[in-house]
Amino acid sequence: MSTEPSGTNIEGEAPISETVVETDDATITDDAELERTLGLVGGLAIGIGTMIGAGIFVFPGLAGAEVGTAATASFVVSGVVALLVALPTSELATAMPKSGGGYYFISRGLGTLAGTVVGLSLWLGLVFATAFYLVGLGFYALDALALVGITIETSPGGIVSVLAVVFGIGFTMLNLTGTENVAKLQNGIVALLLSMLVAFLAFGVFDVLGVVGAEASGGTEADRWAALPILSTAALVFTSYLGFAQVATVAGEIKRPGRNLPLAMIGSVLIVTIMYVLTIFIATSVFDRTQLGAFGETAMVEIGRELLGLGGALVIVVGGLLATMSSANASILSTSRAIYGVSKDAILPRWASRINLRFGTPHVALGMAGGPVIVLAATREVQLLAEVASFLHLIMYGLICVALVAIRRDEPEWYDPEFRVPGGPIISVVGAVASFALIAFMDPASILVGALVILATTGWYFYYARDVTLRGAL
Amino acid sequence: MTRVLVPVAVLEGETVSPGLMKLLGTVDVTVLGYHVLPDQTPPDQARLQYEDRATDALEDLTEEFRMAGGAADHRLVFTHDREQSIDRIANEIEARALAISGVTGDVEQLLVPLSGDVAVERILPFVEDLVGDRDIGVTLFLATKKEEANTERLDTAAEDLRSSGIRVRTTAVVGSSPFAALIDEVPGHDVIVMGERAPSFRSLVFGEESERVAAESVGPVLVVRYDEGPDE
Repeated sequence: MSTEPSGTNIEGEAPISETVVETDDATITDDAELERTLGLVGGLAIGIGTMIGAGIFVFPGLAGAEVGTAATASFVVSGVVALLVALPTSELATAMPKSGGGYYFISRGLGTLAGTVVGLSLWLGLVFATAFYLVGLGFYALDALALVGITIETSPGGIVSVLAVVFGIGFTMLNLTGTENVAKLQNGIVALLLSMLVAFLAFGVFDVLGVVGAEASGGTEADRWAALPILSTAALVFTSYLGFAQVATVAGEIKRPGRNLPLAMIGSVLIVTIMYVLTIFIATSVFDRTQLGAFGETAMVEIGRELLGLGGALVIVVGGLLATMSSANASILSTSRAIYGVSKDAILPRWASRINLRFGTPHVALGMAGGPVIVLAATREVQLLAEVASFLHLIMYGLICVALVAIRRDEPEWYDPEFRVPGGPIISVVGAVASFALIAFMDPASILVGALVILATTGWYFYYARDVTLRGAL
Repeated sequence: MTRVLVPVAVLEGETVSPGLMKLLGTVDVTVLGYHVLPDQTPPDQARLQYEDRATDALEDLTEEFRMAGGAADHRLVFTHDREQSIDRIANEIEARALAISGVTGDVEQLLVPLSGDVAVERILPFVEDLVGDRDIGVTLFLATKKEEANTERLDTAAEDLRSSGIRVRTTAVVGSSPFAALIDEVPGHDVIVMGERAPSFRSLVFGEESERVAAESVGPVLVVRYDEGPDE
């Protein structure tokens, strides 16, 4: 295996590569240094901030409506799958702390075809995920309007679409022109959200356990403790666990990557899993399946109202707005890294990663993220968007695990991760099987859309980048 | 050897005034070209696009510093956090001072405030090295809040500098705001040399004192570092 990427794409552009020295504080190239500016807190904020928007504020109603209290098991299953993938991802990220995350590992471990499919579906997966967060945000904005006394009688759904599109345009513009420190803002929002949620969950658990003794308010007889519905719900809510991969996409900017990357990825998965399980337990104890189904995306608001009155509803609405916003924003940030990663390797045209002279922002990449996001957000297809996002991520996760096995079997000279998954290849193999298996439990429509995306990216490889060689290169 | 770090926002067209270059002719200089990026932009992406242009500009600047007398080299960094990059590189090269560039012509008189809790024992040797055997005068400045405060610190420091052949003037001022008093003293001086303070609550709220001095005085400020990093 050579350590240099080679070949050119259809336009004659070759992958850019050079020898760099990675230190804990910076990446040092021949002529310049790239400062690593995100600490452990910043990494956790990206991971948790991306995830809790979906898992806590959007899914409890939808998942509870499917299987009732058994949804706790769905969240545990999803969390375990996420953890099984987070471990191999951590090992690869400490060995290759570069922009692009999963794309980078897979293109180096498995070659250009797999790399192209994953790199482009990481971008599109993030697009679907962002659209999903925006729709969630739209629902919360509608509830916020209702709380301040503005109720929309005619076609509230249409209003959600409009709100989602407006927020989508707003975020894209903000990212295009904003030079403020988005990351610092993200840290603050996540800290605020976590403290609100911990207080809310502590109160909720206390209340529910007391209530359970006296009178079961949610009908437990409706819970569906059966393997198939639990697993298909797990496949649906897996979108709540996509955030740790976003940490990997900014791996090039994390300080002390050998320590902070594994901690941020594994830590954020563990933290959100615990919070999700508690949330869904409270949600399904307060209301039964039919009630949750009627409340839909913003069921949490009704739960807040039931537990704490109007104040509780208000807290949840504010939390939901902040959380879905931070999810959407963090996803847009990592989309620009994902596009940059593939464009540097000549899998997309080089102009896709141009930087705007006036604002210093990657305007083409942000446009490639924001444009489709807005279109998808207008569809308001929460479940479809969530599942397609999960589908595309799960393909990447499965391939990350395969890439780890491949790289370990045939270790290149430069491969020297600071974090190694314990127990040999077993965890990676189980992680790969679990990731691919979860896809099988999705809605057929989602699988179809996801498969079409994969097919299209494969076609792109054969048309555009079949002569580029990346396997084994650093 | 005394080394001074000169951070320059190289892609925004920031340069170093000829007066400051000449003043730094007696010491070694590292020019730090930096470019601050918004969080949306991966630093590596900016590097690919701007590296060549930035390196060209830095090489020119470095050459000018060499012509002015001292040894000079340069570093280029793409970052989301300017302070973090400056601190890291200052530690790595063990810089004794940082330059905040500003406008000045030929330097004839330095203003050296010794007010407050600053490391006089670090500032004076730096001033000595900087002035060398050139005909540059030094004004030692002390602002105190109380009338009876002793000016002993001022006198010892003046004696110290005179013994190495430097022309020294001393000014002691009593007033409620040492900062305002210092700014009032600026006319007639070309460059301010001041000690870095340990980070404090005030500096969090109002920004670094040296940055505020630089903004108010328009001229360049040399900040003698508080901590040179691990064992000097």
